[in-house]
Amino acid sequence: MTSHAATAPAGHAHHDDRSFIAKYVFSTDHKIIGIQFLFLSLFFLLVGGVLAMQMRWQLGFPNQPMPGGGILPETWATDGVLLPEYYIQLVTMHGTFMVFFAIMPLLVGVYANFLIPLKIGTHDMAFPRINMASFWAAFLAGAVMLSSMFVPEGPSRAGWTMYAPLSARSDLSGVLLGQQLWCVAIILLGLSSILGSLNYITTVINNRAPGMTWFRLPLSVWSLFITAILGLLALPVLSGAGIMLLFDQTIGTHFFDTTAGGQALLWQHLFWFFGHPEVYILILPAMGMVSDIVANGSRKPIFGYHSMVFAIVGIGFLSWIVWGHHMFMSGMNPTLGSTFMVTTMIIAVPSAIKVFNWLGTMWEGNLHFHVPMLNAVGFVAMFVIGGLSGVFMAATPVDMPIHDTYFIVAHIHYVLFGGSLFALFGAITYWYPKMFGRMMNERWGKVHFWLTMLFFNLVFFPMHNLGMGGHMRRIYDPTVYDFLDPMQGLNRFISLAAFALFAVQAIFAVNFVWSLFRGRKAAANPWRDNGLEWSLPNPAPHGNWERVPTVYRGPYEFSHPQASEDFLPQHVPLPGDQEPASAKGAAQ
Amino acid sequence: MTHATIDMMHPPAPAEPGVQAYNLKLGMWVFLASEVMFFTGLIGSYVVLRFGVGEWARPGTVLNIPITALNTFLLICSSVSMVKAYAAIADGDQKGLRLWFLLTILGGAAFVGVQVYEYLHLVHSGFVPSGVRDGSELAERVASGALPAATMGLYGSTFYTMTGFHGFHVSCGVVSMIYLYIRKVLPGKYTRQDYRGVEVVGLYWHFVDLVWIILFTIVYLI
Amino acid sequence: METAHRKHPPYLWIWLYLALLTVAEVVLAFELPLSQNMKLILLLVLAVWKAALVAMFFMHLKFERWNLRVLALVPLPLAAIFILAALSEKIW
Repeated sequence: MTSHAATAPAGHAHHDDRSFIAKYVFSTDHKIIGIQFLFLSLFFLLVGGVLAMQMRWQLGFPNQPMPGGGILPETWATDGVLLPEYYIQLVTMHGTFMVFFAIMPLLVGVYANFLIPLKIGTHDMAFPRINMASFWAAFLAGAVMLSSMFVPEGPSRAGWTMYAPLSARSDLSGVLLGQQLWCVAIILLGLSSILGSLNYITTVINNRAPGMTWFRLPLSVWSLFITAILGLLALPVLSGAGIMLLFDQTIGTHFFDTTAGGQALLWQHLFWFFGHPEVYILILPAMGMVSDIVANGSRKPIFGYHSMVFAIVGIGFLSWIVWGHHMFMSGMNPTLGSTFMVTTMIIAVPSAIKVFNWLGTMWEGNLHFHVPMLNAVGFVAMFVIGGLSGVFMAATPVDMPIHDTYFIVAHIHYVLFGGSLFALFGAITYWYPKMFGRMMNERWGKVHFWLTMLFFNLVFFPMHNLGMGGHMRRIYDPTVYDFLDPMQGLNRFISLAAFALFAVQAIFAVNFVWSLFRGRKAAANPWRDNGLEWSLPNPAPHGNWERVPTVYRGPYEFSHPQASEDFLPQHVPLPGDQEPASAKGAAQ
Repeated sequence: MTHATIDMMHPPAPAEPGVQAYNLKLGMWVFLASEVMFFTGLIGSYVVLRFGVGEWARPGTVLNIPITALNTFLLICSSVSMVKAYAAIADGDQKGLRLWFLLTILGGAAFVGVQVYEYLHLVHSGFVPSGVRDGSELAERVASGALPAATMGLYGSTFYTMTGFHGFHVSCGVVSMIYLYIRKVLPGKYTRQDYRGVEVVGLYWHFVDLVWIILFTIVYLI
Repeated sequence: METAHRKHPPYLWIWLYLALLTVAEVVLAFELPLSQNMKLILLLVLAVWKAALVAMFFMHLKFERWNLRVLALVPLPLAAIFILAALSEKIW
């Protein structure tokens, strides 16, 4: 039997006397960079939410003056009534901000940066200065994208997917500068992502602590690693496409101009070739972190660790050959469409394996429903719903009537909000002590979870019905169609629930900010977890460890028969554990 | 944390042997993988667009093949001088490193120079990213039927985008090499024990050459 | 550790080889009376051959561990998939 306190290799790496600017602004410390991404993305999450509230006002109460609408300029609203030209900009920018500047950086920018070195047992990323550049590129990209809201014509009107020719021709969309800024911002964001991925991949391959073999890595690290590979290879295609689109708008090239031999469908192929791996970038890290949290909350090893790894790898691999399922109604080659239908149905399999493994982990576990566990279990439930609606859409004949309807909107939000965002609420709460040295308030965390779960389902579940009833996406005024009249009540209901959902997030925001200053000071390992990061004090010091720990086992050894407690950290040797070969004489 | 006794070219394996490449080298290969995808987007689009239209201007009718062939050869030579520089420092030959590295920089800069000259010449004769400029010498050839009017727009778009971004990458390489030359090569900071920067900038340079080998063939010769 | 003079691949021979292949390409493109399709295939083969020489010898891939080769080559099937899929738009 061994006690954990005696073997904790904690302590300051070295005395830190850098200036405030060096420590917190232009920091090369992966943890600070992760926290910088956190504040940046939470800001954009708020922006995206505010845009959505305006959309829901117009949909629930068409053509009526919006409360507070008087402050909007004449180009956006007349006497508080949102204009259609503005509405479509809301739709475009809501998607853009949420996907590129909220969820993606929250999952990758924050947690790849914060967790990877801590969980694999190293001092920092392989290239700390490139890491810093990655954050500032994202910051600049966000600033450029935000600025597009404030130029005379306003931001892009082509939907977050930017289909040509609407996105390529300002005479069609009525927007030029805002559209160009979108392209520039995306190119910058692509650069940020690529620089980040480069770091994450190199660090995970090369800088693991002695004994940290591939199959002892936590699933959060596995998922972030595969996500980094997806990002590395997908974002450059988007950047290239963004460059071609920018050139079509500015220097008169004809890539997507069908009048001069260009192909509008080429944009769709380029965009979705990036776009599908992108949505797996938006879910895999969430799945990985949920695995860590569910094992912890069940006090049991993750069920089927190896199959979880293969599922992550399989999803990553398959994500490259399913993109056409976004294009079933585009007029693309039907034979090609059929192949995409098959591959899309296949990709449901590894995701399902993961769901069963999470359930298997919880089965007969010693369940502790702390706030992260609640959110993680909520993730599993909501992701199942989102995944099931995905199977509908995978079947091309079924997709034909539901494409570009609210059925799709329901799917997107079940996986992105019900999935990724719930996982993020859990992850933020879970690693908060390691970031800030304090705990978030448990009771308010639970209130936030339950209210969010309630209103989230009230908002997005009925959208399945709307979609099945033929309610199309991106429409400004549903009342122009008689056949939508019976469903307008549902629209109003959804809008009211959405306002409540948005309001409830204030609980999380207040909890987050308040706990920074007045939260309960956290012990080193408040969740009684096995990961290497919990061997460090809270908040984790610059450089992490003086000497990197040695790893003896995997990260999910909960309720181990030979341990005195119901958890057994990776770095704590049991009698009989051998030193890994690479620990002998290894460099720091 | 001292590295005095560690062979930086072959640092000790961490948890597992892995790819047996030190961080900088692995990082550069990973970065190059992303660059392949970037050029895939551009070159792939060219292939798809060209395949989808009818007659394309025949090789040599717009672009100058002889000069570009020589330029291609020049870039290949600079790739050779780069690898000679790498071989030199691997043997501890500082003088050889300085010579071959400088030749690489000069070769790369000359390549960019020739490309810029070509661009100016093409623009002057009326070939621009949007296609053919009205009233230019090329416009007359289009009017006379020597060049296909329908596809010149795409030709300009794809040519300038692909070669332009390639040229941008070459320029970044030249600038990086100048920086390294001044800060590390001349002061003799690379040694037989540690010449990671040379190897890694070399990888980038060879990649840029490799992309050009593909581009020259499919843009100029087909 | 290393010996005084490490054995290097024959860089100058590779350089000669590349030069010859380049000449072959230009000659093929202009002089030989072959069909357009045949020229396309041969030129692509020559280009890929040259690229492979640069990758194998100048970038030392031939002498690296197998998994680094895999890492370097991973984007190629993705590129092929994208191009083939997008090309299929014009053949139906």
